[in-house]
Amino acid sequence: MLGLSDDDKPRVLGRRVAPGLAIVLIAIASIGVMMLDNNSNRLDRVRDALSVVVQPVQMAAEWPGRALGYLDRYFNRGALIRENDQLRQKNLLLQGRLQRLAALEAENERIRALLASASALDQNVLIARILSVSPDPYRQYVKLNKGSTDGVFVGQALIDAHGIMGQVTNVSPLSSRAILISDPNNGVPVEINRTGLQTIAQGTGHSEELTLPFLPNNADVQVGDLLVSSGLGGRYPADYPVARVTAVNHRPGGDFLDVTAAPTAELDRGREALLVWSTHQQSSDTDGADGADPADSETSSDADDNDADDTQ
Amino acid sequence: MIVNARVSIVLMLATLVVSLVLMLVPLPTLIAPFRPAFYTMTVLFWAANQPQRFGLLAAWLAGVVMDILYTTPLSEHGLAMAVATYALIKVRGWLWTMPVVQQTLLIAPILVAYEFVLFWVDGVAGLDVAPSWRWLPVISSTLLWPAWAYLLERIAEFEVE
Repeated sequence: MLGLSDDDKPRVLGRRVAPGLAIVLIAIASIGVMMLDNNSNRLDRVRDALSVVVQPVQMAAEWPGRALGYLDRYFNRGALIRENDQLRQKNLLLQGRLQRLAALEAENERIRALLASASALDQNVLIARILSVSPDPYRQYVKLNKGSTDGVFVGQALIDAHGIMGQVTNVSPLSSRAILISDPNNGVPVEINRTGLQTIAQGTGHSEELTLPFLPNNADVQVGDLLVSSGLGGRYPADYPVARVTAVNHRPGGDFLDVTAAPTAELDRGREALLVWSTHQQSSDTDGADGADPADSETSSDADDNDADDTQ
Repeated sequence: MIVNARVSIVLMLATLVVSLVLMLVPLPTLIAPFRPAFYTMTVLFWAANQPQRFGLLAAWLAGVVMDILYTTPLSEHGLAMAVATYALIKVRGWLWTMPVVQQTLLIAPILVAYEFVLFWVDGVAGLDVAPSWRWLPVISSTLLWPAWAYLLERIAEFEVE
């Protein structure tokens, strides 16, 4: 049994070859494919097509969790009723606040009109379920159950109840993939809510931490400051909470402050998220105008580079 | 024991799909790193049992499917699967003549090779990997291997009869 009979040898392209040669060929091909996939988006179409094929597997993996959820609902009527009551109260509270908001929004619109500035307040939302927080948690991606057939497009911002989560980077017909703000390749243009100071929040690869690498030593920033999206770059909608400053360190001799912040959104816990976009944004996106936006390229995000290519 | 008879492609695909689903089912964060590499074990099992029909190329394709579901660089898992299968082909001759304990000890380094390829590609691609996610599955998969192989054998035998 030690030697391989001719019949046992692996086949490459229909011909029997020695396994040693076969593995070398496969290794070379694999490394080539990986490099191509990592450095360009030429293989995205292949990936999209194949991801439709394997979609049923993804959906099957959802069943156990969903079945547990249903069972839980079935057996916990009491909890469900209690939750319903709580939600009712919360809804009432939010409705109350919303009434004030409607008036404020109208006022804001009027003032904006007086200033002759573009109004981008009209925002559409789409609820998406998070199919999988990438199985390897150090990769800061989530997969969503809405795709291009639902009107999802590359560059759409993803938020949850507490703040900005990320943006869509890949769209296939039935699902899409979004990069989270905690990914090292992603930067969010933010402003410090207290002072209005503009800067960029960069991901670190850990879902509990962002850094603000571009704040000069004399910048006015304190622990506890809320960072809201500034809307510069046109990628993320303005004025959504992004993170809260957790530490400010002066490095003696350094030019910049060492500032870390914790995202307000629950990046690794949520089950559902909102895709938000303004009608204005989508039309500018299809023109492919965003690639030229200076603030956008300043975030130096890979995702942005990709989608600039996609839309053109 | 080795399954000598030809097993249908449908059965192989079915077991692969089921193990792939097991890889994707969401687990609580505490347990998740311990998830055994079900899919890899199934690929190795068929590569050992049905070498005429399940060779390096099949293993590579199986890995690519995983890459699509995991959104990793295309053919990262493909390469790892092919390398592991190659190692398995090399030891296949004696694998099935051994008692279960030694079989399992032979599978462990193959799984290490598999995880090492992933670890290496992650490093080259600049992805920050928590090491526990790479070596904990080796332990859990090794412990599970006897039971998993036994289960697959029974399924295969059931179909052959």
